[in-house]
Amino acid sequence: MSNDPLIRTTSLEKTYKAGNIETPALRGIDLEMHEKEFTAVAGPSGSGKSTLLHLLGGLDRPTGGEIYLEGQPMSDLSKDQLAKLRLNHIGFVFQAYNLIPVLTVLENTAFVLELQGIVRSERIERARKILGELGIEEYAHQYPNRISGGEQQRVAVARAVVTEPSIVLADEPTANLDTATSLDLIDLMRRLNEERGSTFFFATHDNRLLDRVNRLVTLVDGKVDKDDVRRPA
Amino acid sequence: MKAAIRHLKRNKGRSLLTLLAVLIPVYTLVFMFGFASANLRDMFETATNLESGHFQVREISERAIGGTLPLIDDVAPILEILDANEAVAWRTIRLDVPALASVDGRSQAIFVQGVEPETVVRITPIETLIVEGEYLTAGSRGAVLGTELAKMLDLSVGEEVVLLAAHPEAAMGVLKVPVVGIYDAPDASMGRGLIQVDLASARQLVRRPTAATAVVSMVQDVTGPWDVDKIDATADEVRAALPSGLEVVDWRTLAPMVDSYMNLMRPMLFIIAGVFFALGALVVVNTLYLSVMERTREIGLVLALGSSRLRVMGMVMTEAAILAIAGAAYGALVGIGLILIVEAFGGIPLPAQFANVFRSMGMSGVLHLRVDTVNAILAAVAMPVVALLAALFPAWRAAQFEPMEAMRYVE
Repeated sequence: MSNDPLIRTTSLEKTYKAGNIETPALRGIDLEMHEKEFTAVAGPSGSGKSTLLHLLGGLDRPTGGEIYLEGQPMSDLSKDQLAKLRLNHIGFVFQAYNLIPVLTVLENTAFVLELQGIVRSERIERARKILGELGIEEYAHQYPNRISGGEQQRVAVARAVVTEPSIVLADEPTANLDTATSLDLIDLMRRLNEERGSTFFFATHDNRLLDRVNRLVTLVDGKVDKDDVRRPA
Repeated sequence: MKAAIRHLKRNKGRSLLTLLAVLIPVYTLVFMFGFASANLRDMFETATNLESGHFQVREISERAIGGTLPLIDDVAPILEILDANEAVAWRTIRLDVPALASVDGRSQAIFVQGVEPETVVRITPIETLIVEGEYLTAGSRGAVLGTELAKMLDLSVGEEVVLLAAHPEAAMGVLKVPVVGIYDAPDASMGRGLIQVDLASARQLVRRPTAATAVVSMVQDVTGPWDVDKIDATADEVRAALPSGLEVVDWRTLAPMVDSYMNLMRPMLFIIAGVFFALGALVVVNTLYLSVMERTREIGLVLALGSSRLRVMGMVMTEAAILAIAGAAYGALVGIGLILIVEAFGGIPLPAQFANVFRSMGMSGVLHLRVDTVNAILAAVAMPVVALLAALFPAWRAAQFEPMEAMRYVE
């Protein structure tokens, strides 16, 4: 593992404005994330977990501070450059699965590879491979609405890791799942982290999952309250 | 492409509406152009066949409209020029003489038209309108007249009519000609006022053995008013070759109503087409915009995953293109199919009162349709282009979504 952080934030701030009302969501976050980490960011509702993930993923822009991805400041990037960065360096898993309903499981998984311009044969091969690794290859030709929530979220994980991104950001990936399915999903992500070396950073408020992570960042009121490294990644 | 087709299938009602927004204007325009084109062709053919030919060679004169044509003493040099021009399909000599027709003290002012029966049958419909007796035959003397005139003069086939020539440039001649046929004229003034006789008899009437008033010419490969360029080119060539004192008068001068109608019809059709295009475009914008708004979250997701904005535009445009091309193809097929079906049944017969109005305008009493290939292609290409231009707005709007805002969007 390199000592250079994969992501570094300095005094990261985000304040939402609605008319004259300003609502601070993040109030100066300093964090470093390294390759192959499996990190959860926890905290009560409104603590800024999702906001932090959106900023790290280039889906939103901070109102203060800076984010460095592999040493490069993200604030200098245009919208199109941010889109390219998301496509090539970041994998996303969203709370509500967010699969494209008109695409099959295989096509959903291969979709980001298509965005990257990878030829059809290669993207099908890579998508099949990851679906196989995640144990959902049998659903390859099913549409999302024909499979369960847990399976849909596995597809979302497959889509997030198929491009072999620098980091996978997952925003409450188990929020809509029952306990057993949630634990399965986290174990699956953990396995990908260990076997493929994928770096995960996910938000959760589910304490049952926290003993599976090797680093836990706790946010309270938009600030890092605790940063607890439990065992080496 | 596959995803675009699935999106379209997902909301069949909206897709069908967009498809119809292209299909209906294309179908209507193909049908309308088919109708206009067939009627223009009918008018053009009727006018050029009944009256003018594609062009005529005449003696130059200053004369009032409808006045008597000056006499050409010798048509031989004209015939030589026309026969040497390969674009001239054929020509026929005509000698029009104002005259008085008289039978047993009953008289009627008429025009005598001396014709060459063997060639004039190709442009005059009179042969096909004969209701009693027969049409003129080459080498024999005779006259054919309309039913109205036959009734006024109480004439039947086999009886003789006395013709008294009144051409200002010729000596007054009198001729007795046997009536060989009676025709039912498409218009009453023709039926009352025109007697066709063989050219030799007409020349005898003006006492000029080589005279004519016009050489009527038809040009090769002219199938309708869309081929007027061929007529113009040939007329120019003949004009350039004519000796002084002669002129070429084309169908525009001879049948000005047809030319005016054509000049009016074209811009009108294009204005109507423009209205259809605009309405189609509005429906396309509306339905695609709704479709984009309905898929806000999905588009947000695609952008969040790293799609370029251009690609998002491409997604919407691909769907629009599929519907526009399919709509145009189906529209053209339906329009052309309907035209072919109508024509297979011989056109649409008009009620008597409308048929008479149409006949008085030089058209037939049956509405015909014709596949106007050029304009059909134009409509089938222009409408999808308009639809795609219209689709640019919803496509651009989709590309402007902010990923997170779009993903949080609640319908």
